[in-house]
Amino acid sequence: MLSNKELYRISKRVYREGILHGQLQSAGSDQARFLEKIDKDKMQRSPDIILKAMSALYIFGLVTIPIFALITIHSTLSSGIDSNWVAFVGSLSVSGFLVMQPAVLLIFSIMFSWGIMSGGPYKWIHTLPFGKKDIERIGFFTFLRSINIQLISMSLVLPAGIVVSIVLVLGSEISVLSLVLLIITSLLFSIINLVFSLSLLVIISRKMALIMGDQEINSRKTNIIRIVSMVLYMIVAMGVMYLIQIAIAKIPELYVLQSWSADTTNILNIILSIIPFPFAGGYLLTILAMDFSNVNRFLLGGSILGIILFIFLTYFVYGKALSTLRNITSTELKKYSKKKKEVFVKDITINTTGPTLAFLKRDFAIITREMSSIMILIMPFMIPLYMLFLPMDDQMTIGPAGLSIVMIIMLFYVSMVSVMLVVGLTNIESGGTTITASLPISVRDQVKAKAPHFVGTIPLALIVAILVRIGTPQFTTMISFALAFLPVIPIICLASLFFKAFLFGKMKHKIVLEEIKSEKKFVKNVLVIAFTFVLMGVFVFASAFGFLSLGIAEVVAAILLYIAYNIMFPKQ
Amino acid sequence: MIEEDRAMVSVINLTKSFGTLVAVNDISFEVKPGEIFGILGPNGAGKTTTIKQILGLLEQEQGEIRVFGLDPSTDDVEIKRNIGYVSEDPLIYKSMTPRMLFNFIASIRGLDEIETTKKLQYYFESLEAVEYYDKLVATLSRGNKQKMQVIAALIHEPLLLIMDEPLTGLDAKSAKVVKEVLELHKERGGSVIFSTHILEVAEEMCDRIAIMDRGKIIAMGTIEELSKMANKVGADLEDIFLKLTNQDESVNHIVKNLRKMINGNKRS
Repeated sequence: MLSNKELYRISKRVYREGILHGQLQSAGSDQARFLEKIDKDKMQRSPDIILKAMSALYIFGLVTIPIFALITIHSTLSSGIDSNWVAFVGSLSVSGFLVMQPAVLLIFSIMFSWGIMSGGPYKWIHTLPFGKKDIERIGFFTFLRSINIQLISMSLVLPAGIVVSIVLVLGSEISVLSLVLLIITSLLFSIINLVFSLSLLVIISRKMALIMGDQEINSRKTNIIRIVSMVLYMIVAMGVMYLIQIAIAKIPELYVLQSWSADTTNILNIILSIIPFPFAGGYLLTILAMDFSNVNRFLLGGSILGIILFIFLTYFVYGKALSTLRNITSTELKKYSKKKKEVFVKDITINTTGPTLAFLKRDFAIITREMSSIMILIMPFMIPLYMLFLPMDDQMTIGPAGLSIVMIIMLFYVSMVSVMLVVGLTNIESGGTTITASLPISVRDQVKAKAPHFVGTIPLALIVAILVRIGTPQFTTMISFALAFLPVIPIICLASLFFKAFLFGKMKHKIVLEEIKSEKKFVKNVLVIAFTFVLMGVFVFASAFGFLSLGIAEVVAAILLYIAYNIMFPKQ
Repeated sequence: MIEEDRAMVSVINLTKSFGTLVAVNDISFEVKPGEIFGILGPNGAGKTTTIKQILGLLEQEQGEIRVFGLDPSTDDVEIKRNIGYVSEDPLIYKSMTPRMLFNFIASIRGLDEIETTKKLQYYFESLEAVEYYDKLVATLSRGNKQKMQVIAALIHEPLLLIMDEPLTGLDAKSAKVVKEVLELHKERGGSVIFSTHILEVAEEMCDRIAIMDRGKIIAMGTIEELSKMANKVGADLEDIFLKLTNQDESVNHIVKNLRKMINGNKRS
């Protein structure tokens, strides 16, 4: 039997294998291109480091919410607010943090842990002379490696936050007994919450890994999982800082905004405090921060009962996680239990269409299944998120000048997304080369088939972004602005496509392939981005003279593009 | 217009370089109607570069290529209407099902729906691939992907088939079916350019063989002609190939050393 130190060292190999496995599963049918990319770019081999650092940063950022809630408790109580209501708001704030902790852990860690949880990285370990127990321990160490930074940050952040609260305010407000109990409780609760969160991560990533198994690599289900995890990741990445700002701004208002009677709040508090996760912990910490004298004894009892229930729940989930970890290192892996739907081939028939529609159908089939293409389709819809999180009420954006700045930023984001869409759509041509190489393809038809994406995807995203603001005073201005700029989007996309084809060259069976004139690739890509930005700048400048001049600029650009199209992609 | 009575493919003094590397060096050959023409050679010999130029996928540098009398550098679309191509790696769209894939191919080629459906049914049944028609290509095995490639190359009944390792991954029965299809294609006047590493297959199927090494054709002819060139009359194609590519001595040397090493490390 090997020592733990040796096994921990060995687990590094399995961990790296697991990371690669997770990346491959995320890449979907894009795997060949992904492997090519990591072969060239060594940074791509350790994406986990960035995500680990980000999750630690976010966990540390989030702790400002309970700190702020706890340090304002006593000033609120002294201003005569009902203690039940204070307990309610304080507990909600702390509970919010306790929920966000595992959520951040799951979202930032799952992309890689599902690779480890697939069991695939352990297959080769079984071919080496290791005992079953050693392999189980390697499995445990591999998992620990995948969450080492998160583990440290999660176990330390709450006690550290409590200490900060004590130093800032609570130290002079509550009894020594309460202070000691507060620190011990936060430490214990941190550990329980950590075990609970990690167990959830093990169980959920194992489920994900089973669904994302190799045989399902390109199914709609696996792609939905990829999309949801990506969108959640982006929402959390963008939303956490916003949430912290909002929480800090709104908590004092919530404390004074009592909505129910003291009795109703009291009953609600007791009911919530018994709920093991996340309220029991939230209530117990808030009660301790309030000092016992200010708190109803039933509430204290309820939260202690809730904590006991939470310990049982954690013990149960931990047991499940442990058996999952044992299972993934076993040679006899349990398979995805859900019955696979049998595919019955009714008949072998074909339906033909024109070449342009055939390309369009092909592009749609690929774009909805390949991860990089899916991402490019999702990116435009980040504009609504941007609009959603934008604090429109504040002084910066309330005036017409502020509004114009918001819209111009959005238009330049649209330019960037247009370039990404062009790259994504032309990348489709890199797949299926055997088929395209032998088909009598007209590149002109391929270009025509891209047009609906340019006319559809980003303009739709822009409209959705404005609709997010429906009902606000800025809505009319924004929608008219967006409608005036709608024709600019396909113009920018097509211009970017043509410029890329001009710089990189075009093959007879593909629109653009970066292998024809592959020299100075970086410079060329920068030029394409710069070109679209300048072009957008021209349209923004034209709009400064009114919508008529913008319209004229759009018509001129469209005519020039049509001429370029006929020269670059002539009829055959 | 394609003239069917002349050589299907003629390559005259073709040269192609990538930077300082001369991938194809002054090669010439012809493929006649009703002929299966094999191109053999070690990795990096220039086989794929030659094939890609015949397909019009790479720009010509020096020399001349005519496919059905047409120039691939200008008439590639017309040429491809009459070519079926199977590459060594089945680079077909993984995110599509064969149904989507063949709808796409038939649409681009402008094939008749009823006729093509009949042919598809025949090929899918013959190659025992019916059950995969609605499965994603990504989930298919290497052999089944290869079957899709082969069917895609045959479905429009091309005059010329260009096949780079077409039997890789196929089970014995499917390989036999494909070989029979190629024989039938040949009997009907079609031609095949066949590139393979499996020398037994080349020996069994090819009417003439060109052996390429470092961009040059070092020998060309029927098996009998090649065996005479290698002074190995009656030998199999493997021995002829190794002799003509000057690899016979190095192979003997490797085998000798291997034996020495294995015999020197007796099991304890």
